[in-house]
This record gives sequence, structure tokens and C-alpha cells, in this order.
Amino acid sequence: MASAAACVAVAVAAVLAALVWTLWPSGTAEPSEFGVRPPAAGPSAAGFPARSTAGAEPLGVRVPRISLDARIEAVGVEDDGTVEVPADAGRAGWYRHGPPPGAPAGSAVLVGHVDDRTGDLGAFATLYRVREGDVVTVARRDAPPVRYEVTAREVVDKDRLPAEVFRRDGRPVLTLVTCAPPYDPESGYEKNLVVYAEPARG
Amino acid sequence: MPATAATPAQGGDTASVSVFHGVPGLTVDVYANGRELLPDFRPGTLTEPQSLPAGTYDIEVFADGEGPDGDPALQKSVEVPAGANATLAAHLNAQGDPVLTAFVNDTSKVPAGRSRVTVRHVAAAPAVDVRAGGKPVIEGLTNPNEKSLEVPAGTVSADVVLAGTDTVAIGPADLNLAEGTTTIVYAWGSAEDGNLALKTQTIGGMESAPGGVDAGESGAMAADNESATAWLVWGTAGAVAVAGLLAARRRYVRSD
Repeated sequence: MASAAACVAVAVAAVLAALVWTLWPSGTAEPSEFGVRPPAAGPSAAGFPARSTAGAEPLGVRVPRISLDARIEAVGVEDDGTVEVPADAGRAGWYRHGPPPGAPAGSAVLVGHVDDRTGDLGAFATLYRVREGDVVTVARRDAPPVRYEVTAREVVDKDRLPAEVFRRDGRPVLTLVTCAPPYDPESGYEKNLVVYAEPARG
Repeated sequence: MPATAATPAQGGDTASVSVFHGVPGLTVDVYANGRELLPDFRPGTLTEPQSLPAGTYDIEVFADGEGPDGDPALQKSVEVPAGANATLAAHLNAQGDPVLTAFVNDTSKVPAGRSRVTVRHVAAAPAVDVRAGGKPVIEGLTNPNEKSLEVPAGTVSADVVLAGTDTVAIGPADLNLAEGTTTIVYAWGSAEDGNLALKTQTIGGMESAPGGVDAGESGAMAADNESATAWLVWGTAGAVAVAGLLAARRRYVRSD
């Protein structure tokens, strides 16, 4: 009698566990994609300057709804050809060889850690919760802040990050890049999470 | 650009050509195929690139106002291949005589974060070394040759010394080497006349995308979620099992 009840309990537990396993938001394991990567050209691309790398230096980025708030430092390229990411995981890096946020053309790229060596989460970990329409604000040196609205998010293999992410001409876009699972203890994260935001109207 | 010089042909049949005047003390008129291309062209000037139809050009350089019927100071037939980016330089050779040299500019992609520097020796001077921040980066360059290298983008202090010595011939000068560009540095003039100088030409649009973004370290974001899930699953299972056992025990006690 007792053992039968225990068996039932274990069976119920197993079912519940399975249920929780399936229902637990899988978005945290690999964030979902939405929207379409803003194309360089298009009907609305007419009138954008051919290329643009000059402009006010960005100082900080905020996405209030998801409590993303990070200071920005200018970053370049590592010896291995990848983008430098700030050593302080709480900071975001602006790819200084491309256009700055607020530039009239091209993709302004901000990179940020998803976590650091000590196991703490990084400045861009909250991008896993970003939604279409979220407002992104970038504070700039000696210039008014610029506002963007999130329009798309995609997950790409880390070695297949589209070159377009770093384009210096065409329609203006703010591109936020961090890492995404799966995680390999040897080689690290295998994917990039890429969030696109376009200039907010008005 | 005078309309007579060239009407750019269609598609890829054109070349981008700039002209550098590196002969000190002589203002000239430059003619291409008997038509005036550059009037009143002064020493030390470099023209913006012009789109010219590919082909062979008979280039004549006259002292100001003496063309096109007089004797040209310089004359050369120059082949301009389709799609090329070239600079035609009027300059002195090592002995101090004016010559024309056509250089092809390297417009291939530059790795992300880097800049290409090309140094051209077009001066009446012996072999030179080029130093960046005091260290030789190009050695034994002679007229009318060029050498190129790729360096991290940024500003460098460069000077030109007589080859193998510390005797500064030109500079130092700050060179702003922008990312994804080719900066061409002309060492021109005459050592004997003491007018050696540098002239730079920058060609942009050769940038490459960086190799990727490594923005994670510990796997905490992945592990965090996995362990949270695992805790929840085992926690739930444990709680249900305990509840079940308690219920079974209660029944067992009651039936006693």
C-alpha cells in the first residue's frame, strides 16, 4: 500500500518534472529570433550619404524596459582579427572603425559581454529579454542623445557573423552584438545574438 | 576635367587616374593625346582621381604656356588598363632629371583595424629608409620604386633617413593612417637643392569586416539557465516525491 503510493508519487513527480522541463522558457537557452535584419539598401535608403564614419563619440547605452544601462568605450580589433570587447563586462564597446550611433548612414556596432570570467552576467545579458519596439538610447559626447527602436533580433553562428553587420554605408542602424549558447567549455559560446534597432521616428 | 580629355566609357572600361607633380620649381601644362588635361599644374600638387577611359595615352608635359606645339619637357606613352587605380607622377630621377612614372595603386581589401602604407621614392636622392616612431619599417628604397606594408590604423610619426644611417632627410611628420585605407607617401624634391618633402595621397573604401565578436567568457549565461532549469526540475520532483511519501505514511499510520 505504502510502496504503491510512493510509486504513484514518483510517477507524478516525473510527469511534473517533464512538464516543467518543456514549459520552462527555452528562450533562455537560445534566444528567439524576430523581425528582419535591416537591409543596407531599399526604397528608403535613397538620400543616405555614401558612407559615414565621423560623428559624436557615444558614451552610454540604455534600454530602460530591460534595465540595460552600460557605459561605452571605443574598441578596435584584436590581433586575431575579432572585435575587442571591453575587459570590464559591465561596459559596452563601440566599434570605432565603423560609424558612431547617430551617424546618417551605415551600421553603428556596440558589443557587450553576456558574462565574464568570474561567472557574473555582462552588460548585454539582458538583450535575451529584448522585444520588438523597445527603445534604445545612446548618450553622446557634446551631442544630444539618439533614440532607436528595436526591430529585429537574430542568432547566428559566431564564425558566420554577417559582414553586413559592419557595413559603413546604406540605411542607418544600431547593431548590438553579444554571445549566445550553446557554450563549449573549450571554445566558448558558439553563437552571436544580434539585435538591430532603427532610428526612432519623431 | 576638360570635356576634351575624356568622356568616361561605359561599365568597367574606365580607370581612376590621379596626377602628381613632383618636379620642384616648374609650373607646367599636362596634355593627354594632344589635348590639355591639366593647365597651370604646380609642384607639390596632386589631383583628385579622375575617371578616364582605359587605353593608351600619349602624355606630354610642357613648361607653362609652351604647349602644345613646342618641345615637351617630358613625354611618355602610358597604358591605362580598365579598372585600374593609378597615379601618374612627374618627378625627378635619382640624378635630378625630370621623368614620368605611372604607379598602380593597391586598392585590395585591408584587414579590419589596419591600414596600408605605400612609400614611393620619387626624389633626386640616394636610397632611403623610412622610420615609424624611430624604427625602420622600410629599408633601402630607391628611386623610382615603392614599398608597401600593412600597419595598425592610427597616427604615426614618420621620417625618412639616408639608407642605413640616422641622417634625417625628411621629417618627422605625423601620418594619419586611417583604417581600411591606403595612404601613399611620396618622398619628392631634390636632396642637392634642399627641398625634399613628403606628399600624401589617401584612397579609401578598402575596409574589411572584423573576424567576429567573442563576447562571453565563463558560460555563466548558458550554465545559469541550465542549472536554474535543473534545480527547478529536481526541486519539483523532490517536493512531489516527499509529499507522496508523507501521504503514504499517513495512510499507513491510519490503517494501523
